[in-house]
Amino acid sequence: MRKALAILLLVIVGYYFIAIFLNVPFGNKPKGVGEYYLDKTPTQTGAANAVTAIVVSYRGFDTLGEVTVLFLAATGLGAILFDKKGKKRRLQNASIIVKETSRVIYPLIVLLGAYVFIHGHLTPGGGFQGGAIIATGVLLMFMSYRSFETNHGALSWIESLAGITFVSLGLSGLIWGTSFLQNILVGGAQQNLGQLNHLVSAGIIPLIYIAVGFKVGAELTALLDNMLKTIK
Amino acid sequence: MNLTPVQFVAIPLFAAFLIPIVAKISKEAVKYIPGIVFLYLAYVAFTLFPKALEKPIVEIIAGFKPPFGIVLYFGPTAAFLVSMVMVVGFVIWLYSFKFIIREPSEKYYMLFMMLITGATGIMLTGDVFNLFVFFEITAIAAYSLTAFLRDKDGAEAAFKYLLIGSFSSTFFLLAIALIYSNTHTLNMADLAVKMQNVDVTTKLFILILFISGLGIESELFPLNGWAPDAYSQAPTPVAAVFAGIVVKASLYALLRLVFLMFNWSEVFYLLLVLGVITMLVGEMSAMRQHQIKRMLAFSSIGQMGLIVIAFSIATVPSLQAGFFQMVNHVLIKSLLFFSAGYLVFHSGSKDISALDGLGKEKPITSFFFAFGALAILGLPPFSGFWGKMFILMAAGNSHLLLVVVLILISGIIEAVYYLRVISRLYFYKETTKEVRRTPVSGLVAMGILTVLIIILGLYPNTILAYLKPAANDLLHRTEYINAVLGQIHL
Amino acid sequence: MIFYVTSILVILIGIYAVLVKKNLIKIVIGLSIVDSGVNLLLISIGYVKHGTAPIFSRPDLTAAQMVDPVPQALVLTAIVIGLGVTAVALALVIRLYDHHKTMDINKIRKLKW
Repeated sequence: MRKALAILLLVIVGYYFIAIFLNVPFGNKPKGVGEYYLDKTPTQTGAANAVTAIVVSYRGFDTLGEVTVLFLAATGLGAILFDKKGKKRRLQNASIIVKETSRVIYPLIVLLGAYVFIHGHLTPGGGFQGGAIIATGVLLMFMSYRSFETNHGALSWIESLAGITFVSLGLSGLIWGTSFLQNILVGGAQQNLGQLNHLVSAGIIPLIYIAVGFKVGAELTALLDNMLKTIK
Repeated sequence: MNLTPVQFVAIPLFAAFLIPIVAKISKEAVKYIPGIVFLYLAYVAFTLFPKALEKPIVEIIAGFKPPFGIVLYFGPTAAFLVSMVMVVGFVIWLYSFKFIIREPSEKYYMLFMMLITGATGIMLTGDVFNLFVFFEITAIAAYSLTAFLRDKDGAEAAFKYLLIGSFSSTFFLLAIALIYSNTHTLNMADLAVKMQNVDVTTKLFILILFISGLGIESELFPLNGWAPDAYSQAPTPVAAVFAGIVVKASLYALLRLVFLMFNWSEVFYLLLVLGVITMLVGEMSAMRQHQIKRMLAFSSIGQMGLIVIAFSIATVPSLQAGFFQMVNHVLIKSLLFFSAGYLVFHSGSKDISALDGLGKEKPITSFFFAFGALAILGLPPFSGFWGKMFILMAAGNSHLLLVVVLILISGIIEAVYYLRVISRLYFYKETTKEVRRTPVSGLVAMGILTVLIIILGLYPNTILAYLKPAANDLLHRTEYINAVLGQIHL
Repeated sequence: MIFYVTSILVILIGIYAVLVKKNLIKIVIGLSIVDSGVNLLLISIGYVKHGTAPIFSRPDLTAAQMVDPVPQALVLTAIVIGLGVTAVALALVIRLYDHHKTMDINKIRKLKW
């Protein structure tokens, strides 16, 4: 009965959604702001990756909010699961093959994560993706070694300092430039964009993405750690 | 550093990131951070207020002019709401100073600061997707704070809130997808211009998605099931934040979008009907409650209905009345939640029946509750009277006699259940209870609110005059559009 | 076109799971399916026929060949938000399981739903 009602409701809702979206043009050239961003990204921001330019520069305020959401999730999780702290994870030790392999590839995964967030303005990826890659490396270690522990003090320092760096970079735009999150290293008369497709380019975009990468890596690690500690 | 509106978002966020570091040095020092933040931001708000009244402040983020970058719009409405948030936030901080006994207290303050960040962000932003982001910040902070006491019902209330909230964010995101695919812009002022070329069916669909998305947080009728549970399970100061700040912020966002993009008279009629139903259902459910905080939660839903009615009449006086009632409700409901929090704490039970005779044992706290109850009922010397009076006058001027009658009826229902609590406090036989002291900071917080309510009641017309620019700002979208986009065409 | 229809179907499957399933974990999974559906929908809005990634990695790539970068940037944000909500939801599920020793939502409902 309940299922039939749910299906009926969904059929009606789905019909209207599909009917509305069939009117939406598909596969056309970008218009409006999308077109503008594609045209201006290399000359205005110096970043090769237009998505990164939008995420960090044009819509940088969203990213500040995004970082806040992750921080908030980590904080909320810590608050909700507070009295679980200090318990040991009760995972089985993995087999020797898994253990040795993960010991070898763990540093490589972290390196890949760092590469992804440092080159966020040049290649696909960025702070969030790089941070997530680092956290998967830590997850691998959690799974294979029962005794693997992260340094909680260091993690919360990294979280806080990276967050403060982001907001401070934003406020620096307000102090030395005209607006919050303004790319203070770029622009002005000389247009210090750097050379397109070179690591040192695009002003504060890579700096912000490095801070974001550290922050996301630390937060996701803390999330995983908190969750795994509740396994009984 | 110049004083600019972005600080209302950046500074609380900065504080939230700073708190874990300060907590490593001294846990005691963490408690003072939110107070300092609120004092500073209240100073900023009152400095910028006169400037915003002259000319709306449009702040461009990251140096890209609209619609390509994100803008913050600090007009009279936002100025008024943000100043209100800062004052009320300070009072709530003062109240929670001695209230939070549960660990981890530094996490409580971090979540609190981020909740404020989200709410002010909602009020300031001029970009729909940015609005979504701040909306989610507010929501996630609210879920976590609802479950903060880590008890059985708290987790359940939070999970329920989260389920409903996820649907609201899905609707919101779908609306944004439709908007972007049809107009290729996300700036609200630009949208107001470009939405005119979108066909009516799509527009209607977007409107429905927005109302169901934002209506959930603004407690509109069929979507407010989360509110009573969340209010009654969350720590008391948090319930006051929900009623006073979160709900008002999302209502403002909904109204801003409606006035900018969908200002057809049918929409206001729909909102009027929703408001009336919300008010009646809220008040009637409040009468049936046995727990005092649930009763206050339903009463808050009823009041939101009244405020929505005022806004949906959509004339300058009715908007003024709506804003007036907003301030009223924020102050009075916070006072009621604060005093109810200590009454529950003293009686040791959440039930109304446990309050018998507390009026003699806890005279000051009970006095504050009775004062708040009488104020919200709208008895003549109190500010609640003026709020209701202005709304009734606005409705009468628009020839909505049925609405006038229904508001009066709901006022009577309200009187019944509030007076029931007061009579239990004062006229029932006292039962001997273990008496605990109400901390001074709590009493000071309630005292400040009482003084503000009295001021509001004594000089309603002065305050109403200040609200006129805010009403004009919300009602006339051309000013908004010109303020944001004018810089492009020049 | 088929992209829109498929992503809407994904959203509907997620909503179905939330409405019908009794297990708390499955409900949370349903919520993430809804999120994924919305994200797919957003991405397909930005699609351009024969378009390439919006990265100026070679000099011969021009803006005219690229897909719309805005939906991708929005989806990046939406994914992170979805992750945050899922994390908090799972924490609440752990809490609820602690208190009730069950994952069945029917046995948990004490508050009125």
